[in-house]
Amino acid sequence: MLTPKLTAIRLPGIQRGYEPEQPIRFSHRLHAGEMQISCQYCHSGAERSRHAGIPAASVCMNCHRFVTAPLGAVRAEDELAAKENRPPRRVIAPELRKLYDALGLDDDLRRDPAKPQRPIAWVKVHNLPDFAYFDHRPHVAAGVACQTCHGPVETMERMRQVADLTMGWCVNCHRDANRTGIAGHPVYASIDCAVCHY
Amino acid sequence: MAEVAWLVRRPLIVGDKSVAQVTRDICAAMETRPSALWWAGFLAALSLLGLGVTAISYEISTGIGTWGENRTVGWAFDITNFVFWIGIGHAGTLISAILFLFRQRWRTSVNRAAEAMTIFAVMCAGIFPLIHMGRPWLAHWMFPYPNTRGSLWINFRSPLVWDFFAIATYLTISLTFWYVGLLPDLATIRDRTASPWRRRIAGILSLGWNGSTRTWQRYEVVYLLLAGLGTPLVVSVHTIVSWDFATSLIPGWHATIFPPYFVAGAIFSGMAMVLTLMIVARKTMQLEDYITPRHVDIMCKLIIATGGIVGLSYATEFFMALYSSNPYEQFVFLNRATGPLCWAYWTMVSCNVLVPQLLWFRRVRSNLVLVFVISIFVNIGMWFERFVIIVTSLHHDFLPSSWVSYRPTCIEVATLLGTFGLFFTCFLLFVRLVPVIAIGEVKAVVSHDKLSGGTHA
Amino acid sequence: MSAEGANRYWRALEERGAATAAEGPDEFAARREGIDLFLSRRGFLKAAGFGAAGALLASCARAPVQEAIPFLSAPEEIVPGHALYYASTCAGCSAACGMLVKSRDGRPIKLEGNAEHPLSRGALCAAGQASILGLYDSHRLRSPLHRGQRASWEEVDRAVGERIATISKNGGAVRFLSSTITGPTIRAEIDRFLGSFADGRHVVYDPLSCSAILDAHERTHGARVLPRYLFDRAEVIASFDADFLGTWIAPVEFAAAWRAGRDLEAKPPRFSYHVQIEPLLSVTGSKADRRIRIAPRELGPALSHLAGLLAKKAGLTFSSPPPADPELSAALATLADRLWQARRRSLVVCGSQDVATQVACNFANEILQNYGNTLDVERPSYQKQGNDRALQELLSEISAGKVAALFIAAANPVSELPGGENIAAALDKLPLVVSFASHRDETADHAHFVCPDHHPLESWSDAEPVAGIISVTQPVIRPLGQTRSLVETLSTWRGRPTPAYEIFQASWRSRIFARQSQETSFQRFWDRAVHDGVAAVEPARFSPRPFDVSAVKPAAPAKAGAAEGLSLVLYAKVAMLAGQHAENPWLQELPDPISKVAWDNYACLAPATAAALGVAEGDVVRLDFGAGSLELPAYVQPGQHDGVVAVALGYGRKGTARFAGIGPRWLDAEPSVGRDGLVGVDASGALELTDGVLRYVREGVRIAKTGRTRPLACTQTHHTITVPDMFAANGSVRRPVVQETTYAAWQGNPAAGREGEEAESEDLWPDDHPYNGHRWAMAIDLTACTGCSACVVACQVENNIPVVGRDEVRRHREMHWLRIDRYYSGSQAEVDVVYEPMLCQQCENAPCETVCPVLATVHSEEGLNEQVYNRCVGTRYCANNCPYKTRRFNWFNYPHQDPFANLVLNPDVAVRSRGVMEKCSFCVQRIQQAKIEAKQAGQPVADGAIQPACQQTCPAGAIVFGDLNDRSSRVAAAVANPRRFRVLEEMNVRPSVNYLRVVRNRDETDGEKSHG
Repeated sequence: MLTPKLTAIRLPGIQRGYEPEQPIRFSHRLHAGEMQISCQYCHSGAERSRHAGIPAASVCMNCHRFVTAPLGAVRAEDELAAKENRPPRRVIAPELRKLYDALGLDDDLRRDPAKPQRPIAWVKVHNLPDFAYFDHRPHVAAGVACQTCHGPVETMERMRQVADLTMGWCVNCHRDANRTGIAGHPVYASIDCAVCHY
Repeated sequence: MAEVAWLVRRPLIVGDKSVAQVTRDICAAMETRPSALWWAGFLAALSLLGLGVTAISYEISTGIGTWGENRTVGWAFDITNFVFWIGIGHAGTLISAILFLFRQRWRTSVNRAAEAMTIFAVMCAGIFPLIHMGRPWLAHWMFPYPNTRGSLWINFRSPLVWDFFAIATYLTISLTFWYVGLLPDLATIRDRTASPWRRRIAGILSLGWNGSTRTWQRYEVVYLLLAGLGTPLVVSVHTIVSWDFATSLIPGWHATIFPPYFVAGAIFSGMAMVLTLMIVARKTMQLEDYITPRHVDIMCKLIIATGGIVGLSYATEFFMALYSSNPYEQFVFLNRATGPLCWAYWTMVSCNVLVPQLLWFRRVRSNLVLVFVISIFVNIGMWFERFVIIVTSLHHDFLPSSWVSYRPTCIEVATLLGTFGLFFTCFLLFVRLVPVIAIGEVKAVVSHDKLSGGTHA
Repeated sequence: MSAEGANRYWRALEERGAATAAEGPDEFAARREGIDLFLSRRGFLKAAGFGAAGALLASCARAPVQEAIPFLSAPEEIVPGHALYYASTCAGCSAACGMLVKSRDGRPIKLEGNAEHPLSRGALCAAGQASILGLYDSHRLRSPLHRGQRASWEEVDRAVGERIATISKNGGAVRFLSSTITGPTIRAEIDRFLGSFADGRHVVYDPLSCSAILDAHERTHGARVLPRYLFDRAEVIASFDADFLGTWIAPVEFAAAWRAGRDLEAKPPRFSYHVQIEPLLSVTGSKADRRIRIAPRELGPALSHLAGLLAKKAGLTFSSPPPADPELSAALATLADRLWQARRRSLVVCGSQDVATQVACNFANEILQNYGNTLDVERPSYQKQGNDRALQELLSEISAGKVAALFIAAANPVSELPGGENIAAALDKLPLVVSFASHRDETADHAHFVCPDHHPLESWSDAEPVAGIISVTQPVIRPLGQTRSLVETLSTWRGRPTPAYEIFQASWRSRIFARQSQETSFQRFWDRAVHDGVAAVEPARFSPRPFDVSAVKPAAPAKAGAAEGLSLVLYAKVAMLAGQHAENPWLQELPDPISKVAWDNYACLAPATAAALGVAEGDVVRLDFGAGSLELPAYVQPGQHDGVVAVALGYGRKGTARFAGIGPRWLDAEPSVGRDGLVGVDASGALELTDGVLRYVREGVRIAKTGRTRPLACTQTHHTITVPDMFAANGSVRRPVVQETTYAAWQGNPAAGREGEEAESEDLWPDDHPYNGHRWAMAIDLTACTGCSACVVACQVENNIPVVGRDEVRRHREMHWLRIDRYYSGSQAEVDVVYEPMLCQQCENAPCETVCPVLATVHSEEGLNEQVYNRCVGTRYCANNCPYKTRRFNWFNYPHQDPFANLVLNPDVAVRSRGVMEKCSFCVQRIQQAKIEAKQAGQPVADGAIQPACQQTCPAGAIVFGDLNDRSSRVAAAVANPRRFRVLEEMNVRPSVNYLRVVRNRDETDGEKSHG
């Protein structure tokens, strides 16, 4: 019962509100919010592995092979091209260019052997201590909404840690789940130490 | 009453002193410059303390592995020293609290020193529960506080937790008791001293003591209450310490006899330590008139008594083991007496059971040198008692496959010496800074008319 | 392999190759991530230490930024954090057991037995388990050497090419020296390479030689073959100094078969009768039903006499004088009877290197009509091909300087053979010496060129341990250094550089595909073989000549002449074998199953002999054997023949100098190496290579005390369950911590041998463990357990258990979560041995749980006794209060400095910091994994889906783990078994680990025979 009052003042090691700069200004609001892309389309690891994982650049390319810039910019180029009656040039948004550079693609999105391929070093937002073994799979299987732990991601321009990710936070959620069930159906969420610590 | 009548016949303080003289005699120690002897002792103690500090910091920075313990013997010197020092403390509490309630007026000459000893001993003891941890920097986890782990509390079933509280209480009460007892004397210092600094400090510490009857009366009441509070501690603390072992399932540890056995042992060792200190103190500080052979004599008798209980406990343990027909139990005790560590066992028996028997003879009791030597033997013996209980029970337990030997490392020995360093450093400072004898109380027993006129209490 | 499991393996290299080739950098990134993950874990645990102190500071600082680097384009089968298993072949020794390689995020982290493999049946030995560390060995050669200097492959190829050219021009002798290579492809490649020279020959030797067996079969069957021994079919096994459960030929295969031959739970129960006749107490001897100590020189005559007795029964005219010792001859007579009764279903094996003795052994098996039944020469074993005669010739050639070029692969003659320094000197004189060693070993130092081969986990290869059973080795990680596969190197020097993959596929297409019929398309056959890791094909049959009785000569009785002095017996330890694993710290720290000593070899003496010599354990003695002498500490070994001093091979290897600084460093620490800076003493100098066989026995050895002492790092100081008499009050002589009985008694009463009552009495504790879900438990069959210690290493690999070094082991601070208690009973001379694997018993009423002040060890709702490392403050109270002493304390921060070796750490298990208690967790990480997978599949956890590392690798299948609440589970059945008992039952701590009583095939029906 004391826990909420205590966590109101940020205790050592609690990273709630952590919102680091990312190498590419990727907007969850745009993708998950406006575009309504399901979380697991990109974070497919969530149901196959302990880590939800960060999508490989190839996953981004599924769409961004075609979508290279905001619609507005493309339209503008089309009109400009029409005015100058020339074939419209491919518009590449600056943030997306970073993606193409990482893959070593040229402006026509073809592999340019001259360009080196270098993976994108995203900054991890949700960090658990290394002695805590969290596994996404049972939570996804039980139907826990991603937002329960990650907050309203679909509204975030830049990814931010919403929950404080303390042990108490985990355990209390498990307790509640056992009482109220998840999404209507009853579940069993153990609070054994060895569920997370081994 | 018989006791009182007897007291009437022979004064507790010889060389019938005037009240003023008492003050002068006792304060002398603080007002003269320290003797060469004191300096020698102090430096010796200080260097031992230094050694201990080095050893402990090495252990904390490197790991418990710097001790001789192993997968089978998980506790050795650390807990042995802990129990030893806690035991030492008990005499002080006994003298100051129980003997006070029992109107044992001879205690007035020694209680101050004995209580000081208690505090210093508990300080020494307190070190070990801390440093014996693999991760002492997490010691605060032993304390129940609300936390963000959901909340994760401590294990109230664990004797170590009980220990934690027992010792904390013990230190607090002893400290308060000692300080309250000091009040009148602090006032005396305040009034006598020449140095302004001393006066100021003593002035603050003596809480504006003005020696009025009311002050005295309040004082007596508080003192009595504290004595009442202190009394159960004499029994409780070492009882709880003994539960560390008694509640476990290691043969040689889990024995119902442990609490009384430990308490008796504690007083036994404590008395011995008091004697050791007092005999030296009275000589070096010219307090022969206050700490008389009679005091020594009485404490010797206490030693015989408690020593007898301890000896009986040894015998009982052995008997119970053989009587139990529990092979593991039987083995442990036979192994103690005849196994690889039997030398420790027989040191213990000879120091704690055989040697004290000498004290039955008045001639021995009145020979202070002999008494001093005997008290040293008892101290050694009582340390070994704890060592025997802890190590011999562990090193050969249930599965023969895990039987191992144990040898202490230099670090462990240095740590033990270090605690002696701490103890004597504190004690030597104590004899310089406050009256070793409770002036106010002693005055109560100097003149006979006061005596027959009932007591302040 | 289940269909679901199937898609976890590679089907072909293309799939994998494509992925890795394209995504090279990312794969490494993924691996880097692995390292960071690990390093940060250690970082964290340190921080957790001092963190609390600096909490206030920490509170104003952010945690260090952690990067997550995804693939650019993820290969199909790789999901970060998800383990893949690839079928492959163990290269720990020439037995070639099948294995599955567990690969996490692109790095192999664990080897497991391949249950589909017909020989090893899902098991691996200790050496096999530990061999994965070799992949991450920072001392491995990363590039070829030319005269000891790093060189590029181009230079080496050019230089070697030129010399080869000149040699083949003027037809010099080219020799290829190797230990046994069972791979048909590699053998073919070597032959092809040698074929390009006028005088090329491939010489094979084994440091642990079985040459005499092959020679004997040449005499009796007309071909140098090693029969395949089928212990599972044998009802009576007579082993003359053949340690087939420990180190002889294929211990894993044999242990599994031997176990299958003694199955009390089978209907009807079968229990073979196993007699071991040996000079020293071997692992096999320790499991024998009847064990006879014998002087090495008596062995031949004894076996010959046995053959004579059998011949009489068969009505043949062959007899051999009985041995002097009447007791022995009586024992042989009874043995002969039992063998004879079990004709066709018996087996006589012999580990001697004396050809005549081996001939007698063949003769015995021939009379018993065992050929074709319990041993197979038509489908022989290829696991030992060494030819000591050829080796001897080669050595004389070398010393005569007649060899133009010498190629040495998978062999280290300078350190493994007698007269190593002479060989070394001779090598220096040869015009061209090329070694394919992966380390700068003793031989490589004298090679002009060292062309390091890949680690088996990096390369394609194959093996044919037994005719017709071919298993595949596939790469599971791209080479970590500039090494090159042997076959590739040879093809390059033949002038046709070909990638190993193509060589093997071509070889399989041409050689092996033809030998099978069930698959029609080669690709399908290949894919299946790679997927399963093994393929059964038509063996290259040959029909042996009918048994040639004329070859059999009665052995002369042992000449009394050699009687003075002791016989020095050189033996192999389970972990070290001939020393090929000497640089593996896990194996160095593994206590020997019998002596329980780690980090050393020593002179084993029988108690009587030691007493006579006035030698105590740890006294350094000098063994004088004419040709030289050895100085090593003595060890008193009960059950050994009085006339024998035994010394283990494989020690004193050059590479072990690396262990000088292993373990925690502090003021009182001692190095793990001896005075010469090496671990143990090299005893190979005492070997003899005379008239065509490598001999492991020397007669007439003098022994003397040097006055020095060297205390041994022994993990068990008291060796019997018997309390010394002086401490034994009325009737408390023997502790019932191990229970045993005899087969006869068991047949009468399956519960025979029970000591004390089942402690199912009323419990004073509140029953706060309902166990509504699972109830994990384990059962260990002590009848099956051979003490081989594979489980100990498996546990160490799985659970990131640190190596602490000799000094710490000597101080009784070894960290193994699982230890194997070994108890002797009987007299000092005639001992019975029991092994009792001892791990955390996961008690229901756990004494450790009540005493922990901070709740760092608590009971789970599934019956586990959980140890939470990050909560532990290290009071050690729990360990003191543990009656089984299975808890291990981190006395120091154990070094994990080698970032390369750290790649083997299991990311699913925390690395414990200093000051923390740890212990067996029943491999809870595997339990959680299986539960999660079951939950996803929406099915209950299947029995057997969870196998702790120890159970998974156990060759004897002695360990069963499962859910007691699942009535149909194997463990539930084991708990219901009348042989079941629990250690220290009377304490009522209710352990979850159950043991099944030891049963020995003996006639006396009193289960509890006297234990002195």
